[in-house]
Amino acid sequence: MDDTTLQVYSVLFVLATVVLVYTARYFGARRARRRAQRQIAGFDALPGWAEGAIESSRPLHLAFGSAGVGEDNTAVALAEAEFFHHVIQRVGAGDVSPIISTSAAATVPLGQDTLRRGWQRGGALTRTQWYPQGRRSIGYAAAVSGVIESERPSAHIFAGSFGSELALMIDSAARRGQGSLAVSDQLQGQAVAYAMADQALIGEELFAAASYAAEDGRAPADAMVMDVWRALLIMGMTVVLLLEVAKQMPWLSWPAVAVASLVLLGLGLLVYRRR
Amino acid sequence: MGRGQGVGAFFSALVAFAVGVTVMLSLLLGDNPALFGDRPGSDELARRIALPGDVLLRLIVIFLALSIVIGIANLLFVHVSRLTSGKFYSAVLLASFGFTIYWYVTRRGDTSLLEAVQLPIESALAALLFVSLVHGSSRVMGKRNDIWGLLFVAVVVVVLLASLPLAELAPVKAWSDWLMRIPVSAGVRAMLLGIALGMVVTGVRAVLGQDRSYRG
Repeated sequence: MDDTTLQVYSVLFVLATVVLVYTARYFGARRARRRAQRQIAGFDALPGWAEGAIESSRPLHLAFGSAGVGEDNTAVALAEAEFFHHVIQRVGAGDVSPIISTSAAATVPLGQDTLRRGWQRGGALTRTQWYPQGRRSIGYAAAVSGVIESERPSAHIFAGSFGSELALMIDSAARRGQGSLAVSDQLQGQAVAYAMADQALIGEELFAAASYAAEDGRAPADAMVMDVWRALLIMGMTVVLLLEVAKQMPWLSWPAVAVASLVLLGLGLLVYRRR
Repeated sequence: MGRGQGVGAFFSALVAFAVGVTVMLSLLLGDNPALFGDRPGSDELARRIALPGDVLLRLIVIFLALSIVIGIANLLFVHVSRLTSGKFYSAVLLASFGFTIYWYVTRRGDTSLLEAVQLPIESALAALLFVSLVHGSSRVMGKRNDIWGLLFVAVVVVVLLASLPLAELAPVKAWSDWLMRIPVSAGVRAMLLGIALGMVVTGVRAVLGQDRSYRG
């Protein structure tokens, strides 16, 4: 594929995403679409943790990891800031401000702003904490383990960019009986999150988190855009796979491929609706 | 939201929208004259479209270089404020910070402190990380008591066994290679595709002002 075709496809893809975002917002406003949102088990514990933090007067710990504004994982940092905003609003009735930690210096202002908007009783400057620096930072993991000991958070949400150092933090939290939800855009961190955290999100659930944490009716619509793209991607890959198989089998004609695609699409929709 | 905050939020959203759309159009349409056909001046047009994106991206690089100052200021501010509540480790951190600066300035860039203190401590923590990982793995079945947890543990066991240098385990090694090459690779690609989709949607939402991250 030459550069020009690739650029044209990119423009079309971005425009289609813009249309989808607005369409999903429109339907999301009608609330009825909320029923169609698929269940993600990782978010089930969130309301309980928020209530626990309020009742015990202990903070929630929200960690960006190395997700940094201006770097290749800027979208991760922005998505998690939105997620954390909704989480902070849930504990807004409590006495103790949540703690936000990051190992990316450029994320410090974002974290402070997220905390300031969600928690309007001050403390944004000291409750957003930076520990040096960069991806797979052992120093950051050690410092967060210190925070886990000294601040005794009621639960932790590690949502951002983490490597295997995530194990140190989750292990420290587990030893003190503190709950943890974890997700990472790095594969090592994702594996650790799945194996060790009480609740784990996987892959693009990282970006849908804000939609699930939001208490208003409009936000869940955003998660649907990703579901739509994913469904289209799966359908496209299935069709390509069937076409490749068809080349090996002369009896498999275009109509047969179309019927098989429709059957798979129907099954996919059924599974989606049931979940 | 007060009137001042509302104006600030609107201004933030406007700036984010303008910058986001400019960079997006520059990256999508710039630096490829073929997009504009064979018309005269298409080279110049493509270059001009790419220019604003280049300038803004360079500004980001400068901001990132400066952001370390923000980080250090935050670190000092947080730990000075914690001194008042008698946090011992904050005092240690501030003393170490001051001593390291003093050492570096008086010894004209000598990094032996880094090599003698920082590296051994990080190595020790990395070793501790191994223990944490083993401990965590041993608890997987307790946390994920289902078919997926069992599958996770089975794959870990197969890959660990295959890494042993024993000739008797050659079939396990072949199986492990297949696992890594086909199912694991497919799963990794699926996850990365999902993350890429999420990044596009998040980027579009941010540019369109749907996110609250920067709206004040």
